[in-house]
Amino acid sequence: MTEKHTWIGKLYLAFAFAILYMPIFYLVFYSFNSGKNMSGFKGFTWSHYQTLFADSRLIIIVLQTFLVAILSALIATIVGSLGALGIYQVRRRHTRNLLLSLNNILMVSPDVIIGASFLILFTAMGIALGFGSVLASHIAFSIPIVVLLVLPRLQEMDYAMIDAARDLGANSWQILSRVILPFILPSVFSGYFMAFTYSLDDFAVTFFVTGNGFATLSVEIYSRARQGINLEINALSALMFLFSIILIVGYYLLNQYTQSRRQRRQKDGVYLK
Amino acid sequence: MQSPETILELQHIYKSFDDFVALDNINIKLDQGKFYSFLGPSGSGKTTVLRIVAGLILADRGKVLFDGQDISKLPAEKRKVNTVFQNYALFPHLNVFDNVAFGLRLKRMPQDELQERVMQALKTIQLNGYEDRMISELSGGQQQRVAIARAIVNEPRLLLLDESLSALDQKLRQQMQYELRSLQQRLGITFLFVTHDQEEALAMSDEIIVMNEGRIQQSGTPVDIYDEPINHFVANFIGESNIVPGTMIRDYEVEFVGKRFECADAGMRDHEPVEVVLRPEDITVTTPNQGKLVVSVDSQLFRGDHFEITSHDEDGNEWLIHATNSIEDRDKVGLSFSPNALHVMRFGEKEADFDRRLSEYEGDES
Ligand SMILES: Nc1ncnc2c1ncn2[C@@H]1O[C@H](COP(=O)(O)OP(=O)(O)OP(=O)(O)O)[C@@H](O)[C@H]1O
Ligand SMILES: [Mg+2]
Repeated sequence: MTEKHTWIGKLYLAFAFAILYMPIFYLVFYSFNSGKNMSGFKGFTWSHYQTLFADSRLIIIVLQTFLVAILSALIATIVGSLGALGIYQVRRRHTRNLLLSLNNILMVSPDVIIGASFLILFTAMGIALGFGSVLASHIAFSIPIVVLLVLPRLQEMDYAMIDAARDLGANSWQILSRVILPFILPSVFSGYFMAFTYSLDDFAVTFFVTGNGFATLSVEIYSRARQGINLEINALSALMFLFSIILIVGYYLLNQYTQSRRQRRQKDGVYLK
Repeated sequence: MQSPETILELQHIYKSFDDFVALDNINIKLDQGKFYSFLGPSGSGKTTVLRIVAGLILADRGKVLFDGQDISKLPAEKRKVNTVFQNYALFPHLNVFDNVAFGLRLKRMPQDELQERVMQALKTIQLNGYEDRMISELSGGQQQRVAIARAIVNEPRLLLLDESLSALDQKLRQQMQYELRSLQQRLGITFLFVTHDQEEALAMSDEIIVMNEGRIQQSGTPVDIYDEPINHFVANFIGESNIVPGTMIRDYEVEFVGKRFECADAGMRDHEPVEVVLRPEDITVTTPNQGKLVVSVDSQLFRGDHFEITSHDEDGNEWLIHATNSIEDRDKVGLSFSPNALHVMRFGEKEADFDRRLSEYEGDES
């Protein structure tokens, strides 16, 4: 690569990121606008944030959204990881591929269809729409994501390791807890975070299965936006954006920490205890 | 028939993978506290036997007896056997210490005893100071030694080693052979050691089991196997040899390359077609007049402690000779050998018949 090429490359990257981030910054910028809408910046104010924090309905919805995300991701991670283990254990290639395809179909099918089918299912079964139905549907669409993240890691695992563990006297539970789980743990974590963000993001599926008394953030913002743009939503978006930045930075720092700890361990050499 | 010191017995073991017969009627008896080597070419089924003994796969037919108890169906984790795997199979998410400690932790050994045992094992394989390394940060030979430590630290009654010194350089390899042998004698562990390397097998073993194509060809002490191979395959596989077709004229007389020679073997039919083995180092070079055979030399290679000489006789048979000196006159030299140096092999003789015949004529031998 020549110098010129890297220069163009950098410019391209800067441009791409600028386009991607521009709308967000635009939104955040106007959250401080003392005017009524986004048609012109009139002056700086915190007032939209004050109304936001005074809006207890919205606060509750934020908490509900996080609760659904945390819970659904947790359950989906457990079920999905076990499912990946199950698919991994299937000896016959055809059956395994079939299971994997079934999983992938769920991944790629449009949210609208999934949402509609859940709605039909829940009403047919006489289940009341609300927190439970939203949680259940989020768990359901998160499981394939977890399976898809955990399975490759399992397939990377050398099966000889399991033979070795058995040879050293490990029973099935010990093999799972001391060999397989530690090995796939990174992918289980990424599975959890993926499921978490999918749940947080989701609009289409949730829109179908929320009842009257329950809403998540995306559904609420949608219904409010229909009644006209309100800068309180901008303030909320700014806070959400800040939250994602904190998440990413936290993730980065955690990575840094584990890596440096590992390097330190290597340098020290001798086992101390 | 079960003698009290027999630790492991395989009876009529068969194993197929799809249509491929990997093991064809394997019978083995291992005595407590001895060092056994399993020798055979690649794909002959050595690893498969070890996996059946360890319980990682089940035989299609046959029995595995441990201390006289049938353990054929016992799962691997319940067997008092540990394995050093051919591909090491170390745990990549654990460091060296935790890898070696894996088995002891499962047994819930107290921390200070565990610490001591692991350190001792690491010292045996000369990797003390590497406890905190991750497996990916070790060389191939170091990983192989960790695999050895992870198995020996458990002090099993029977240790299975699958080509466990193959990744080491000559010097380290010899040190490890020495360490393993002394460990085996100190703890009275029975070793079943798979190797490609016949010199290693000859040097370390109390007994060698030679395998080919899923069958056991011959088992016996290194000296027995070397001096009295049962068939062409064993003679060829263990050490270097000259093998020529011949005819057994009568007891103690064999004919090959058109000449008759006195030999030490007997108990065959008269005029039975046979093969004759003559080891290169049992041949001495003399003048054509004094030699039993006359050959002309094709090439001479200096091998450090001997010259490796290839030659051929009038009929075109090749003869390999190990001599201490090189040969000046390459055209015509005489080869001489004692009757004891000739070993006669029958075609298709079963090991049991072979052993019986040998013991019958043992008094007349050597
Ligand atoms: N799981 C399996 N499926 C199919 N074939 C197998 C399997 N395991 C072993 N085999 C076949 O059985 C034969 C014996 O294999 P094995 O691993 O016992 O050989 P080996 O004597 O240990 O060889 P090497 O010295 O190369 O390690 C080989 O031909 C191999 O291809
Ligand atoms: Mg093998």
